Amino acid sequence: MSRYIRQITLPQVGDSGQQKLRYSSVLVVGAGGLGCAVLPYLAAAGIGKIGIIDGDKIEESNLHRQVLYSTDQLGFFKAKEAASAIAKNNPEVEVTVYEEYLTVKNAPQIFPEYDLIIDATDNLFIRYVIDDTCLACGKSFVYGSIHQFQGQVSVFNYKNGPRYRDIFPQENQSVPNCAEAGVLGTTVGMIGMLQANEAMKILLEIGEVLSGKLLIYDLLSNSQQVFEFGKAPEQKKPDLSISFEMVQLESLDIAESILLDVRELGEMPEVKFPQLIQVPLSVLEKESGKLEVDKEYLIFCQSGIRSRKAAELLSKKGFQNLKLIRGGAKDILQLTQNEKSIS
Amino acid sequence: MIQVKYFGLIAEAANCNSENVAEENKTLSQILSDLTSRHQLGDYNFQVAVNKKIVSNLSDHVLSDGDEIAFLPPFSGG
Repeated sequence: MSRYIRQITLPQVGDSGQQKLRYSSVLVVGAGGLGCAVLPYLAAAGIGKIGIIDGDKIEESNLHRQVLYSTDQLGFFKAKEAASAIAKNNPEVEVTVYEEYLTVKNAPQIFPEYDLIIDATDNLFIRYVIDDTCLACGKSFVYGSIHQFQGQVSVFNYKNGPRYRDIFPQENQSVPNCAEAGVLGTTVGMIGMLQANEAMKILLEIGEVLSGKLLIYDLLSNSQQVFEFGKAPEQKKPDLSISFEMVQLESLDIAESILLDVRELGEMPEVKFPQLIQVPLSVLEKESGKLEVDKEYLIFCQSGIRSRKAAELLSKKGFQNLKLIRGGAKDILQLTQNEKSIS
Repeated sequence: MIQVKYFGLIAEAANCNSENVAEENKTLSQILSDLTSRHQLGDYNFQVAVNKKIVSNLSDHVLSDGDEIAFLPPFSGG
């Protein structure tokens, strides 16, 4: 046990705390910038079982902040390479690798195997999947996310505490990720470290956990602010004049559905689908005649903003069977690729 | 004087991290409506905190001198 002696020396840890860590299991969702900060500290501390789920592969543009990876690993799966790195540091840790993206399908199968979930993703759509699955499975999750030089950290669904949806109930929205907004490696490093610290406190049952509190850390001014929140009132509804049903693509019969892509022509990623019509939002008013008013359309765009506007526009023109697909083109692409690999 | 703090994308839209507004005795929803139209925040999603507490019912609050409002948008980078 000399590996852990310096932390066992802490009165708040001791032998009993080390045993708690030894018998704990943590799933880290995302092995990007945040995950690369979280994972080595959890492994080094002696967490018994660590799961890493990420379907992404290492790209050169990741290397300035995803410090577990090196130039000779470009093109390799992040989850596997991250697992090798932390296993090298601490062979006592059992590491499970999931070389796939988290989805509404696999989350309920994987989450029950872990005590605690860490959200180290860069995808707002997946955050809601994590939030919903944690509630369904009775798991807490440590949230971290950044925007340029600022980071947010909180713990959700902890001892029946509030969830992510209690702060941000509006699911269908556009928020830029690191690729769009830019990021310094040190910013994700700091926020990931705070997430790892919250995870340690939860597992060791020490200190004050950030449950019901949203920490915002501004790395440019070195200022930290904590905002308190509670559970949102049950009756809270989106303040939209027209509301549309949001559907999971996974739960639909793909052969029966017509997808309506309202992105501009040439926007990436390209989504291929048996029945797909593309009418950009900018010309939808003029070209709505291409669509049949009595058919059901499942609308998507890049993030959800334009699909909602398109649905509102079509609704005013008498279309009644309109649904919005959760997530955006990237999520749909991932899913259709998965379906292909399954079949 | 009310201090208003902006975070993330909202700070970019407002082109500042904080500002003071002299609008005591107005309700929170009135002030939010003024700031939303001044900085064109209508398309953004955000939550509002008053004196470091996120509020779920905006119309209930009448603000007084020294209060602090914060605009908190969701973040997505990682």
